[in-house]
Amino acid sequence: MFPVRRGDPALAHPLPAQDAVGMIIDRGGAWAVVGAGPHGLSALKNLLQVGLDADGYERATDLGGNWNFHAENSRVYESTHLISTKPFTQFPDFPMPDSYPDYPSHWQVHRYFRSYAEHFGLLDHLSFNTEVVAVAPADGDRWNVTVRDRDSGVETTRQYAGVVIANGHNWWPKIPQYPGQDTFTGELKHSADYKSAEVVRGKRVLVVGAGNTGCDVAVESAQNARETFHSTRRGYYYNPKYALGRPSDQTADLLLALRLPLGLRRVMFKSVLRLTVGDFEKFGLRKPDHEFFETHPIVNQQLVYYVGHGDIQPRPDIARFEGSTVHFDDGTSAEIDVVVFCTGYLAHFPFLDDTYLNMVGDHPVLARQIFTPSSPTLAVSGLIQPDSGQWTIAHWQGMLVATYAALLAQDPRAARRFYDAMVRETDVRFTGGAEYKDSSRHYYEIAHQEYLRAIERDLQRLESMSGALVSAR
Amino acid sequence: MTSRRKSSTVMRMWDWSVPPVSTHREVLSIVPEGWIDQPRASRKPPILFIHGLAHGAWCWAERWMPAAAELGFPVYAVSLRGHGDSGGRKRLGRTLMRHYVHDVMQTITEIPQQPVIVGHSMGAIIAQLVADRYQPRGLALLTPAPIQGAAYTLPRLIQRRPAAAAKVLVGGTLPLGPEQLFCNLDETTAAMYVDRLGRESPWAQYELMLPHRIGPVRCPVLVVGTPDDRVVDERAVTETARAYGVDPVWLPGIGHDLMLDGGWEKPLSVVLDWIDERC
Repeated sequence: MFPVRRGDPALAHPLPAQDAVGMIIDRGGAWAVVGAGPHGLSALKNLLQVGLDADGYERATDLGGNWNFHAENSRVYESTHLISTKPFTQFPDFPMPDSYPDYPSHWQVHRYFRSYAEHFGLLDHLSFNTEVVAVAPADGDRWNVTVRDRDSGVETTRQYAGVVIANGHNWWPKIPQYPGQDTFTGELKHSADYKSAEVVRGKRVLVVGAGNTGCDVAVESAQNARETFHSTRRGYYYNPKYALGRPSDQTADLLLALRLPLGLRRVMFKSVLRLTVGDFEKFGLRKPDHEFFETHPIVNQQLVYYVGHGDIQPRPDIARFEGSTVHFDDGTSAEIDVVVFCTGYLAHFPFLDDTYLNMVGDHPVLARQIFTPSSPTLAVSGLIQPDSGQWTIAHWQGMLVATYAALLAQDPRAARRFYDAMVRETDVRFTGGAEYKDSSRHYYEIAHQEYLRAIERDLQRLESMSGALVSAR
Repeated sequence: MTSRRKSSTVMRMWDWSVPPVSTHREVLSIVPEGWIDQPRASRKPPILFIHGLAHGAWCWAERWMPAAAELGFPVYAVSLRGHGDSGGRKRLGRTLMRHYVHDVMQTITEIPQQPVIVGHSMGAIIAQLVADRYQPRGLALLTPAPIQGAAYTLPRLIQRRPAAAAKVLVGGTLPLGPEQLFCNLDETTAAMYVDRLGRESPWAQYELMLPHRIGPVRCPVLVVGTPDDRVVDERAVTETARAYGVDPVWLPGIGHDLMLDGGWEKPLSVVLDWIDERC
């Protein structure tokens, strides 16, 4: 645990008094970073690395965001392991130790983020136990960031040249409504409340949702509960973590590296699934109603195993609740003690007016999932759900924002040209050729290789712009 | 900065899909007492040494590491897989340059802050490949293997040392003797060092023949060469320096292995002075 900084949070950054504009402390060309999860850390590190000043704010008393197990808004549970392997999941400039397994646990992941922050000297630029309560526009595309010390309640406002929002999108529970749900006599829980198998031990459990969390919880429930039902909207492809002796995501990247077309990759994946797992229908699971790569990949080797042992009973969508009974769409029903909704999370920005993030319905629509058409000095990092590991992308998002921020400081007009061209692309999505199923979990879905190729082109454009500046001198 | 159009730094397909297997890695280090307690901003930066073809971490431990540590620098040297006391000797025939880069990256994550990377000969190429994905505090390239690819040196090698050239072409390790590596070292010591040389991966050696598309970097770069080098010629040194837009530092009177040869103090002080001034 990092020692909590107490007292006036302004003291965390001793500043000369003359910098104060009224009650607002002017931080000059510095950027603020909201959140010290992997995306916040990457943004902070890259801003510092391009020579800018930056302050990071974290609500919890330690870094790690979702991976800081004991934090209020952490949604990892005791048994959480990565569902993608190290090579693509790690930061490319700070690989995970060779001693880590293919699929590290959340404890190892947290230790990894800590050594990243220590190595790049980020701790001196982070204020912990400090919540960002308001991000409001100021003159000249600048931002006033108000933070509250969570112990003393003291609020401080500082003005920044720009803000990177990296507060995560997997902490604000999305809870569905079914008929009769209010009259249900058992317990209703969201996976946000699920920290360990204690929640389900010895009970009759209904797990709702077949995201990766839903499948993990269903498996844990199968191992610990009296009875486990698993309700899903549709049939899915349950990918094994290992197939043919290799981690399956590495095989997927190999096929992409060989530039095989989508159709061929689908055929190959489905045949490998059939060979290693078998026909889902024969296990009593529903046939997927969609093509491979059209939904976020589910990586779970154990679910099908427990279905085969009768420890998980697959069910369709819920029709209604009635007392302690849950009725399903296929006419069956079950007596349930506890329902765990693994129905995902929604992005939530309590400190910022939604209009600045181009909200459409309940989600922001951004160019590259980073830049908003409403402001050239506001960037979001981490609003992505890649079909592979996350933090390689966190690194390159951070690089893109930092390189852009550096150009903005160096040559605002060139940066503006870049930004104007960028925000015309808010409707560009990176689907890898597939048609994603329309559901809130796919708002942020990206095909990782296609997305990174786009980011690389953007970086090259930024570099050539700052290169032109050097020769113009 | 180099103007060379480089391959992708973002898309690392082979590292993602066929990652290097982990291997026991020998890391030698000396951290001066009390260094870790000094304020991060003012203390001397760590130095990470990367050895060249067929060498090992030992070549830095002989002279340079104790001397630099004496002056307050925390120093680290890694033996690439299949070299020194690191594992992976049996897999040397299947080892590529990217496996060496992996070994260096792993070592970097164990160092408490961003180090200055010092690469010698083939290690200079590895250091540049590392700097392509990681921003070090500084990048020092000593008698660097040619950035333009060593293929151009083959005709002369065939002419002067036909046996050595034939061996390299069929995948054998480039034979290096006292006459190639040292200028002013007594016979016994020179023979002892040459005796410690190991084998090199044939694939890494072939990769050295090809041009390397590297850079640009955001850190200070130092290039050191010697006119009395009988392994790396002056063209390789000038070309490397040109790629980063710096002037090479020439140190006459010392051989290719400037960390072992008589007069090793001079190049070391050039490197350390550069670190003090620029990094």
